[in-house]
Amino acid sequence: MSTEPLKALLFSLCGAYGVTGGEDSASLLAMRELSKYMPAKMDALHSVHGETGNGPIHILLDAHIDQIGFIVTNVDEDGFVSVAPCGDADKRVLPAAEVLILGRETLYGVFTSTPPHLSKGDSGKVKDFDKLFIDTGLPAGKAKELIAAGDKVVFKSKQRELLDGKVVSPALDDRAGVAAILRCLELLKGVEHGCKISVAFTVQEESTGGGARTSAYAIGADEAISVDVTFGAALGIPPEKTFPLGGGPLIGMAPPLDHGMSQRFIKIAKEKNIPYGIEAMGGKTFTNADGIAFSKAGVRTALISIPQRNMHTAVEVCGLEDIGNTARLMAEYILERGAAGDA
Amino acid sequence: MLNKLESLCGLYGVSGREDAVREYIISQIRDKAEFHTDNSGNLIVFKKGRQVPKNKVMLAAHMDEVGFIVTFITDDGYLRFDTVGGIDASVLSGRSVLVGGRLVPGVIGVKPVHLLKSEEKENYPEKDMLYIDIGAPSKARAGEAVSVGDAAYFDSDFVEFGDGFVKGRAIDDRAGCALMLHMIGGELEFDTWFAFTAQEETGSGGAFAAAFAVEPDYSIVLEATTAADIAGVKGEKRVCALGGGAAISFMDRGTIYPRDLFDRAFELARENGVKAQPKTLVAGSNDAAAVFKSRAGVRVLTLSLPCRYIHSPSCVISAPDLYETEKLARLLAADFARR
Repeated sequence: MSTEPLKALLFSLCGAYGVTGGEDSASLLAMRELSKYMPAKMDALHSVHGETGNGPIHILLDAHIDQIGFIVTNVDEDGFVSVAPCGDADKRVLPAAEVLILGRETLYGVFTSTPPHLSKGDSGKVKDFDKLFIDTGLPAGKAKELIAAGDKVVFKSKQRELLDGKVVSPALDDRAGVAAILRCLELLKGVEHGCKISVAFTVQEESTGGGARTSAYAIGADEAISVDVTFGAALGIPPEKTFPLGGGPLIGMAPPLDHGMSQRFIKIAKEKNIPYGIEAMGGKTFTNADGIAFSKAGVRTALISIPQRNMHTAVEVCGLEDIGNTARLMAEYILERGAAGDA
Repeated sequence: MLNKLESLCGLYGVSGREDAVREYIISQIRDKAEFHTDNSGNLIVFKKGRQVPKNKVMLAAHMDEVGFIVTFITDDGYLRFDTVGGIDASVLSGRSVLVGGRLVPGVIGVKPVHLLKSEEKENYPEKDMLYIDIGAPSKARAGEAVSVGDAAYFDSDFVEFGDGFVKGRAIDDRAGCALMLHMIGGELEFDTWFAFTAQEETGSGGAFAAAFAVEPDYSIVLEATTAADIAGVKGEKRVCALGGGAAISFMDRGTIYPRDLFDRAFELARENGVKAQPKTLVAGSNDAAAVFKSRAGVRVLTLSLPCRYIHSPSCVISAPDLYETEKLARLLAADFARR
C-alpha cells in the first residue's frame, strides 16, 4: 500500500499548532479528520471525542493531540521575549532555533545564541531559559503590542522525508499516534467489527496528564488502547533502552497495562505477520495509559508505541511503515475482539 | 540588493566548494566587467570606472560559508562529520541539514532528553559525538545517496521578519558578495578590482592568492561580523548592533588596521550622513589578515555587517545596514583611489 496518503495526513496533522495546554487548532483539525469516520466533538478541555459502532465491548482508542512547546513569560525593554517550556523541551537544541510565536499575529522568531566570545570558558554549558530569549526583530513597542505573556510558541521546522519512508517534523510526538488511529479507522471503514469504538485525541499529555484522565472518565470504556511514541534506536543510545525504526509497533508491558491485552496483541501480530517488539517497563509508562488505566473503576489498558528518534526536538523522526503497522495491529485487534463477542 | 542576497544565500558552497556561488556571480557580471577565475577558486573582477585611480583599490568578500563535511559512514548508515569553519557546539544538535550535491535531507540526531544523565544535560554535545541521520538503515543504503567527502549544510530558508530583519544560512559572507555585485552592476568613479574569495572560513587562503595577483595598494574587506546586541549583553561585549550601520574594525585577531584609515572611515560617514559604528571587541579574523601581508604590504580596512547568531543556521542582519555599508564602501573606495 502506498504510504503517500499517510504521509500527507501526518504532515497535515503535524503542521497544526497544539502546544500542551493550548491545543485548540490542532484539536480542530483532528476533529475534522475524525468526523470522516464518526460524529466528533470537542470537550471542555479541547480534547476531541468520537464514538461509533455497537457491540458488547467498548474500546477506547487514545492518542494525545498536544505537543511540547513554550509559553511567553515576558517581553523586555528591547523587545526580547522570555519563555518557559511547556513540556520537557530539550534545551540543547534551542540556540538559533526558529520558532513561531502565536501572539496577536503569528510572528517569526529565532532563539538567541550567545556568541562564543562572550563565554568565560563555559560556552559548552547548556543555556537555561533565563539566558535564552526569542528575537523577533521587532522594536520593543511593537513587540509588546503583538506579544503578551501566555502566548504559546512552537518550533518552526521543515517537514522532510528521509530515505526509506522516514519523516521529519516537529509534533510527531504524538501526531504519529493520532495518524495511526485515523488510519486504523480507515482500515475498518465499512467493516462490521462488532465493537463499540470511542476515540479520544487528548490534551495535556506533555504537561498535566489531565486530558487522558478526563476523557477516559467521560467515555467509560471497557478497554483502552493508548498510542504514543517511544525511543527509537540511534547512534550513541543504549540499545536496551530503544527500539529500531522499521521494527514495528511496540507492545507495552508494565504494571498499569493489562497483561491479557498485551498477550492478545502479541498473538495477533504473530498471526497476521505484523512486525512488533515488546517494551517492558517496571513502573509507570509515563504516557496517557497511566491515567486511563485507573479512571472510574478501572479500564483495561494497552499501550502501543511507535519508535521515534530525537524526541522533543524540532526534528522528530518516525517511520511511515511503523505508523501503518500500528494502524493494522489495532484494526486486527478490534476485529478479533469483536468476533470474540464478550466484554 | 536584498534579492541578490536571497539568491546568493540560496546557493551552497562550503570552503573549497564555492563553484555554485562563483558560477552565479559570473552569470550576473558577465557583460559588466572583466573577470577570471584563479587556481585557488577566487573570482577576480575588474570594473572600469570613470577615472583611472591614483591607487589600486581591491574590494574583497568571501564566497564560502561554514558547513560540514562527511568523514565516515557507520555500519548502521549514520554519517559522522567534521565542521568546515567554526561552528559552535550549541547550534549543532537537532538541526535539519542537506547533504551532498543532491542535497539529501538529514538531521543531526540527539539522544532523547528523557534518557540523558544529569551531566549530559549540562553540556552541548560536541561534534565528534554527533551524527547526521539521513534515514539510511545501512552503510550500503547510505552510500547510494551520499559519500564520504560530501559537503553538508544547515537546511535553513531566507526569511524577512520583524522590522527590516533578514535571516539566512550563509549571510556570512554572501552579504559582502551581494554588496560587490551591486557595485559592479552600477557605475563606479574609479577603476576598481573586486575579489570574490575562496576559503576564508578555513584560513583565508583564497584572499592571499587574490591579493598577490591583483597587487592592490589599498583593500576594503566586506564581511559579516558577530553582533551580540541581545538581551543580557552590555557595553563593548555587544561588539556591534544591528541597525547601526557598518561595523569598522580597529583590530581583530588577524589584523591591526591602519589608524588613519579607521579614522577616515568615520570622518566620511559623518560628512555624508552614513551610519557606521566601531567593532568594539578584538575578536575574529577575516581576509584582511591575508591581504595586508601580501607582497610588500597592503593598507586594508574591514567593513562588516553586524550579524546576530553568525555561523549558525539562523544568521540575522538588518537590511538597512546593507545599504549603509554599501554607501560607506563606495565612499572609502573612491577616497583610497584618489589619495
